[in-house]
Parts: sequence; C-alpha cells; structure tokens
Amino acid sequence: MTANFIYLSILVASIATYACRAFGVFSSKNLSVDSPIFHWIKCISVGIISAVIAKIILFPVGLLSETTSISRIASTLVAIAVYFLFKKNVLLSVFVSTATFLLINFYL
Amino acid sequence: MINLLSFKKGARHAFGVPAIGLGASMFTFGAYLKSSGFTLLESFTSTFFTFALPGQFVMAETIVAGGTLLNIFLAVLLTNARLYPMTVNLIPIIRHSNYPKWRYYLVAQFIAVTAWFNMFAVHKKINQDEKFDYFFGLAGFLWFVSVICTVSGFLISNYVSHKILVGFVFVNPIYFLVMTLTNLVEKKIITSIILGSILSIILFQFIPDWSVLISGLSAGTIGFLIFKKEKYDS
Repeated sequence: MTANFIYLSILVASIATYACRAFGVFSSKNLSVDSPIFHWIKCISVGIISAVIAKIILFPVGLLSETTSISRIASTLVAIAVYFLFKKNVLLSVFVSTATFLLINFYL
Repeated sequence: MINLLSFKKGARHAFGVPAIGLGASMFTFGAYLKSSGFTLLESFTSTFFTFALPGQFVMAETIVAGGTLLNIFLAVLLTNARLYPMTVNLIPIIRHSNYPKWRYYLVAQFIAVTAWFNMFAVHKKINQDEKFDYFFGLAGFLWFVSVICTVSGFLISNYVSHKILVGFVFVNPIYFLVMTLTNLVEKKIITSIILGSILSIILFQFIPDWSVLISGLSAGTIGFLIFKKEKYDS
C-alpha cells in the first residue's frame, strides 16, 4: 500500500461520509420538528444505532473479537442494570460495565 | 459571528463522559492504524477529515485487505449511511432563525452518534437560537478530542497494556448503549430500539453487510407505525 493510495482512500472515505451528512442537511431543508416524517426518521435513526450496538457486541471485529461472547453480553446486562438501579447514572453504568468486562476476560 | 457563550456551554457539556467514551475508541483506532502499518500523518488525516469511527475502521480494513478505491467508497458509504437520517433529524432541532445555509453544511461535518445523542438529551433546555452554537461547541470539541486521541493512540499505544486497549474498545459501544437507554421515553422509540437490536442479530446471519441498515429502517418504520398516534416528544 503506497502513501498516495492511502491518502486517496482517506479522501474517498471522507467524501462518502460527508455525502451522507450533506445530503441530510439538504433533505432537512423544509422539515419541521412537529411533522410525522421527523418522528419517523428519529425512529429510524435510533433503530439503526441500536442495530449497530447489537452488531458490535454480538459479532465484533478487531480487538473485541478476541473476547468471549459471554463477557460482552454479561457486561451489557450489567450496564443496563446499573443504569436503572443507580438513578440513570451514565458514568457509573459505563465504568461498572467496562470493569466487569475486563474482570471476566482477564481475571476469572 | 457565533454565540461564544453557547459554544462554550456545548464544549463544556462534551468535556467528561462523552469525550472519554469517544476518545477511548479513537485512541484504540490510532493504535490499530499503527499496528497495521499506517503513518502518523495518515492517522491524523483520517480522523480530521472523516470523523466517523466505524467507517474509518472499514476504510483501514479494506486498504489492508487490498481493496480498490471503489470498494472503499461503497463500504464506507454503507457503514456511515446512518449519518443521513441522524442529520435529517438534527438540523431542524438546531435551526437558527438567521444563520445562512453554509453553516449547516459546515456543522454537519461534526455530526456523529455521541454528539447526536447528547444534543437530543439536552436540547429542550436550550433556547432555539442558542442550539446551533451549543451543538457546534459540543460536537466540535468531540471532533478535536477525537483527533488528539487518534494521534495519542498512534504514539503511545506501545506503552499501554493489551488489556487496557481491549477495555477502551468496549467503552464506546457500552456508552452508546447507555445513551440509547436515555432515550427510552416514547413507546415508538422503545419499540424501534428493541426491534432494531433483534432484527440486526437475525439479519446478520443472512445479509451481514446490509443487516444494520435494513434492521434500523424496518424497526423504525414498524415502531413509528404501531404508535403513530402517540403524542410527539421531540
């Protein structure tokens, strides 16, 4: 892989990414926050994000694929439990879940 | 001109958990690029211009696998297509009464999941004409932290233990998950989230490349249609 090819790849990736954003700005031109379409698109957005999260946790690539499925699922459940048990504390939930994940993978 | 006070408030919002959640993953991305043979400048450029982690990973993996520029374009487009509905959703929320169009095209570069969730969590408490600059500060600060963390990951990952790096990678999806939980208010959103996760797991077995987009589109549409009459809580 030559340096020129890598920079071209970064340019191509940046254009592909920005195109999604720019087209989003263009499409939102006359969209009102009270319109049904706005709420339909919000449902789609959170649906896609939750699909991404499920995919990363259950079918990871890279470093996470070296860890056990049980550790990822258990830590996810811990995050949900801590969030609801401790007054919806985001920081505590993320911290306890990550600690559980490391504990199961490396110390049990 | 921008409203500096709102900009600073937004940046202050990002300082802390949002920056840690995103920064940890960007740090790992920098480490990954180093181990894959990329240079420091290439790592910096990737986050500086692209700033959408899943697409950046896909780009790097496709390069390493010997893919063509067309392969990279299509793979990144598919991976980052979620940014389209997210942007359509965010712009009306942050719309300013006097700002010209180009500002929206500029701020769009900083739209990503972390900033999106955090803006939706607080936007009702902010005056309409302060929202644009607040988001600019919030998302711009996250972008800045991401660039710094990518470079740091590249430079110092050799001194960080493997266990810590693995922990860093896990922080981001868990942070996204917890931020998703903060949205569990409306029935249509709850349904879309639950269905999106379930469909993604099922469809991945058959159409892994398209599973996320099709799951999200189907889940969101079903959730919206079932609870169409529910009162809007934008």
